[in-house]
Amino acid sequence: MIHDFVILCAAGMLVSVFLMVGQKALVVAIRLYGVQSLLLGAVGIALGLAQHRPHLLVTASLTIVLKAVLIPWFLLRVIDRVGIRREIEPYVNVPASLLLCLGLTVVGYRVSLGMAGASQGIAHQVVGVALSMVLIGLFLMVTRRKAITQIIALLTVENAVFLVAVGATSGMPLVVELGISFDVILAVLVLGVLVHRIVDRFESMDTSRLSNLRG
Amino acid sequence: MNLLLATLAAPLATAGLGALPGPRRPKEVVLVSGLATTFALAIATAGRFLAGETPVAFDGALRVDGLSALVLVLTAFVGLLSGLYAVGYLERNERAGFVSAKRRTELLALVPAYLAALLLVAVSNNLGILWIAVEATTLASVFLVAFHNRDTSLEAAWKFLVLGSVGLAFALLGTVLLFASGQGVLGEEMSALDWTRLIAHASALHPFSVKLAVVFLMIGYGTKAGLAPMHTWKPDAYREAPSPAGVLMAVGMMNCSVYAILRVHLVSKAVLGPEFSERLLLGLGLASVLVATPFILIQWNLKRLLAYSSIEHVGIMAIGFGLGGETAVLGALLHMTYHTFAKPVAFFSAGTLAQLHRSSDFEEIGGGTLGRTPVASGLLLLATLMVTGSPPFGLFWSEMTILKAGFFGPQLAVVAVFLAALVLLFCGFFYQVGRLTLGPDTKPKERAVLPERLDLAMGTTLVAAAVAVVSAFYLPDSLVALVRAAVRVVVSA
Repeated sequence: MIHDFVILCAAGMLVSVFLMVGQKALVVAIRLYGVQSLLLGAVGIALGLAQHRPHLLVTASLTIVLKAVLIPWFLLRVIDRVGIRREIEPYVNVPASLLLCLGLTVVGYRVSLGMAGASQGIAHQVVGVALSMVLIGLFLMVTRRKAITQIIALLTVENAVFLVAVGATSGMPLVVELGISFDVILAVLVLGVLVHRIVDRFESMDTSRLSNLRG
Repeated sequence: MNLLLATLAAPLATAGLGALPGPRRPKEVVLVSGLATTFALAIATAGRFLAGETPVAFDGALRVDGLSALVLVLTAFVGLLSGLYAVGYLERNERAGFVSAKRRTELLALVPAYLAALLLVAVSNNLGILWIAVEATTLASVFLVAFHNRDTSLEAAWKFLVLGSVGLAFALLGTVLLFASGQGVLGEEMSALDWTRLIAHASALHPFSVKLAVVFLMIGYGTKAGLAPMHTWKPDAYREAPSPAGVLMAVGMMNCSVYAILRVHLVSKAVLGPEFSERLLLGLGLASVLVATPFILIQWNLKRLLAYSSIEHVGIMAIGFGLGGETAVLGALLHMTYHTFAKPVAFFSAGTLAQLHRSSDFEEIGGGTLGRTPVASGLLLLATLMVTGSPPFGLFWSEMTILKAGFFGPQLAVVAVFLAALVLLFCGFFYQVGRLTLGPDTKPKERAVLPERLDLAMGTTLVAAAVAVVSAFYLPDSLVALVRAAVRVVVSA
């Protein structure tokens, strides 16, 4: 029962990544990231309640507050300020991207089969979703041009890692988890500051303009 | 108070004081004395280790063994040099009106903060702490890369942060997978991520999870070390970062990421046997040396040239560790030590040259700098001799040690390619620097050159050069003992 719920949420996270690949509006991508983080938090709370692990509840609520609310709010504010709404034509068009991502999902699942028989029964399924999300996140990073999309792709990869931490282990030690969360928040703030500076200088946050340095 | 914690607290306190507003002189005194204290404390900590103790803190999450002690001392040494040079650098730039008071505060706070994060990496015994510390180094250094706020600095900072973050996300995934592999054996406490415990319980870990984890961790920390093909942020970041920060990146960051890679390597060795991670290291190392070769030959910028030289050196170290065996590991660790002495000379003299010519592009500096800025150019030539591994300097001996180990080992083809690349790199680097310093005077007429002065930055460069030259002929016994202890850590596990 609890395992079904976890797998359902993990599948939901995978769907959210595919939806990100499938559309170009930045606002929608940010909201999808929020939903994805909410699902991650739900996995944590469900496992925390079922297995009586209070520290999982702490980290799951932290995830919801920070990643489902604060970070999306911050990113929405950034795009509001710089006034850019849509991703321009990506390097690879949307239908082709979706097909490629399907292939990446197969790769992710194939690799995760080796995890079968690790500590918990659902480990390899969760790892399969997570590895697929990592690969698709990287794919988004290299094929999209807007700085914000790259940040969201990075955060998606990071969510995938946390999914492994919650689903395949019984949650990272609290100190480590808090340290990681703190670093991630700081990284998002720094990235936001950089986006501002880039928009100020280049009057665009199109990262393909950042191409003076070669050789 | 715990000596180890004091070593970490000293640069952190220096950073805090550096961030406060205030007149210039006292803040500079605070910076230099803070970093000198840090260096002294690092030596004292290493001394404790040599006296037979194992300094620990936080229930063993921080721990100093031979490898940690070596990296700790080397990094703190570079931190002190960087601080001294930073003061001179700011003085020069402020005289020319390039740097505002706000930027000065930024540099005075971020340099020690960066060092504090690096030192935390060097003493971590816990994969979680290690990750947090490496991420902290990235965040501390990104505004140093963006320091000059030019178009190119923002581009470099963006690449640096995005690539670094992807690498760190990989490393985090590896950390989680390694944690997962020990579930049920090591428990869920913080200490389940300690290497000492992971290695002690190696046979009980889930091998496939460990294998997956090692790949992700090596790619992740390899990105921070600048191993090819994850090296692309390095040339941009080196060109844009001010020299005091550049040297911390080129030496401190490199040593610390090599340290992280080695810890992963040791866990992998204990669980999967030596071949798996040695192959990986050998592949990454060889790729780095081979990637650096063509870019050094066609280089158009002095600081980018140094970046490719860095990629080469981290590749050499990876090859040394990848060959395995006591001799090769000794060579690689000696390489790290000598590189720590030689690289600052190259960075500082190149930085001075660039500052006086107001550009680091070869075309804008023009050939024949020896006639215009003899001291800086002479020091750059000396540094070139050292970093290319010419005899009698240290890097020649460490490279020879690695080659010797390689030629007596089974990986003959790899070593042959490696040797060929080394020869090409040597010629390429000399060609570039020779053209710049010794060639005919081709300075563009419209560009003015500032006169050389014996200021603090130049003084620091001279001291660094003296240390590097002396180190070729004489290493203190205690440093040799540290290198030997580090070799034992890497080989024995």
